[in-house]
Amino acid sequence: MRPSQLQELRDKGLISHDQHTHLHAVLTKKIFSVFYELRTILYLGVLLFTTGIGILIYKNIGEIGHLLSIIGLFALTVGCFVYAFRFAHPYSDRRIKPPTPFYDYIVLLGCLLFISVISYVQLQYSLLDNGMGITTLITALFFFYAAYRFDHIVVLSLAITALASFWSIAISPQKWYSGDFITESNHHNTAIIFGAAIGIWSYILDRKEIKEHFTFTYMNFASLVFLAGALSGMFIDEHIYLLYLLILYLGCGATILFAHKKKSFLFLLYAFVFGYIGTTYLLSDVFLYETGLWFFYLLISCGTFIYFIIRFKNYFKRAE
Amino acid sequence: MKSVYNQLWLQNLELVKDAKQWLKSGFISKEQYTAISETYKSQFYHPNFTIRILLFIATLVAISGVTGMLTLMVSSAGEDALAVIVLLYGFTAFFILDRIFIANYNHYKSGVTEAILYYACGLTIGGASWVADFDSLVVNLACIIILSFAAYRYLDILCTIGACLSVSYLIFDECYEMGSAAQQSMPIVFIIIFTPVALYVRRLKKKEPAELWYNCLTAIEVLSLITIYAAGNYLVVRELSTELMNLDLVEGENIPLAFVFYVLTVIIPILYLYLGIKKKDLVLLRVSLIVLAFSVFTFKYYYSLGYHEITLVVSGMILITIALALFKYLKTFKNGYTANELLLEKWAGANPQAFIISQTLGDNRVTVDESFNGGGGGFGGGGASGSY
Repeated sequence: MRPSQLQELRDKGLISHDQHTHLHAVLTKKIFSVFYELRTILYLGVLLFTTGIGILIYKNIGEIGHLLSIIGLFALTVGCFVYAFRFAHPYSDRRIKPPTPFYDYIVLLGCLLFISVISYVQLQYSLLDNGMGITTLITALFFFYAAYRFDHIVVLSLAITALASFWSIAISPQKWYSGDFITESNHHNTAIIFGAAIGIWSYILDRKEIKEHFTFTYMNFASLVFLAGALSGMFIDEHIYLLYLLILYLGCGATILFAHKKKSFLFLLYAFVFGYIGTTYLLSDVFLYETGLWFFYLLISCGTFIYFIIRFKNYFKRAE
Repeated sequence: MKSVYNQLWLQNLELVKDAKQWLKSGFISKEQYTAISETYKSQFYHPNFTIRILLFIATLVAISGVTGMLTLMVSSAGEDALAVIVLLYGFTAFFILDRIFIANYNHYKSGVTEAILYYACGLTIGGASWVADFDSLVVNLACIIILSFAAYRYLDILCTIGACLSVSYLIFDECYEMGSAAQQSMPIVFIIIFTPVALYVRRLKKKEPAELWYNCLTAIEVLSLITIYAAGNYLVVRELSTELMNLDLVEGENIPLAFVFYVLTVIIPILYLYLGIKKKDLVLLRVSLIVLAFSVFTFKYYYSLGYHEITLVVSGMILITIALALFKYLKTFKNGYTANELLLEKWAGANPQAFIISQTLGDNRVTVDESFNGGGGGFGGGGASGSY
């Protein structure tokens, strides 16, 4: 936008004099914010630091001086949480504005260091013999607590990811891409149950108006895991694919309802894409044998779909 | 020839988008936003980002159906005829996009338009190349001409990037073909060509008639800045010299003029950073941060002591310290700078951010856990792919 346009807004009385002065200063860079740049640097710092610490511990475990380093690590973790508790606003069911611009990242750093500490303790002292299961569960529970206490969506995402990996589900698009998700035997059933459970859980919390802004994150994971699980089920257990298709449709229905309620089109996208793949699978099994017919089907189905979206554009315009 | 879109509508749309940003950042009230969007109307069909993705995917699938049917119809034609047919399909796609979707139904970057546009570009470029028997010069020129046309007429950023890369490749290819003297001086050629481009685009961006292409011009600017840097970067020059130009380096030997490239690797990021701070320019500032990181990587790549984890920890600590110090320092305004959030970035919603961060950091977590797990059997699959 040019300053002249801003002046035009002012002349038409669409913005007040004060607003014009303020926006003009922003527009002409009299005041200039580096908020996002600094946040990105901070984020990269946290990423590099915690990654490095993780490898460092793994490589030097059992060596002289490790006790010292673990004490240092522990002190740092505690330091982060002391800071977090000291500046934290009291708990509320609503969204809380972070007390300082970098507060989020201190909490995040503390949480990530917490993983390093707990993994270290587990390995060094073999407290818990049956591997990473319990550790992951403890991590997940701790993260859930931290997410709610400090109102932190990122930590919530980490918590859900950790809980999922406790149930042996890898929540990450990269993994689906490389096929890891689908090849694991029976994990699709776990995924379906896990997705449904998380979805119902978030629905209950949302109804009770506890941290409503967390619902998106919950549902994002829930719907993706559920739908991907059901779809993988169709391909893995081919003989009962109709059952999985039914489950997939149920999931799509729930996702669409949610999308409608929250006016969030991302969920509509999930439902349509997964539903379309599932339906296509069914049709290809029933009658789509010929190549020509296939192309015709692709054209007609997607063409109708596009027409439908554009025809009802007013519905799809609301919100966001 | 101008952009295919109605200029007034575009200006209004951009203005309303800005106003929406102000609304979200709390500068103006909801009533004011409504009043502004009532005053500055546009008739475009320009849905939100998610719907655009949905329409894009759906259009691509539908188009592949059309292509399949058309292929079945003409599959018996000879090779020469096929090339021409592909070219004709491409032109038809351009026509349908231009006259039907944009002129008639007022689509503006609706997802449908992008899908058809890329399809049309692909077909025309493919067809033209096929007609010329895939001569590399013709392929290159076809890319440049068609993508530039698409970028100019349809204001498309991906086409802009494609066109820029084709130009770079053309220069590279021409120098490469000319023999070893030209190959050696390639970095200088790139710097000489792209420096004026970057400077010119920066000036052009500020001019009023160019504002429709603002995003495209920014893309060109970023690419030029990165190209200039890459041409002077030691790692890029060295690896390209050995890989492509068969320069055999014996242990202890170095590329010609190595010293110059070392200096450039250091100087260019610092120059960008300095200019970015001085001119308060976000593009320069962000590019400078990226290339600065790459410069550090360049030096670590050749002069690493082998303790990568310590490098990670130390660099992480440095970054955290710098960021926290600047946050504290810029709490109040300093020379017009502030660390406080003024305008919400369009892409900085809490939810996407959370997803990205949890994906990148979550991976780190799982990797560490799994390496502890050793050969822990049943749980192995639950973790990550183990590759770090």
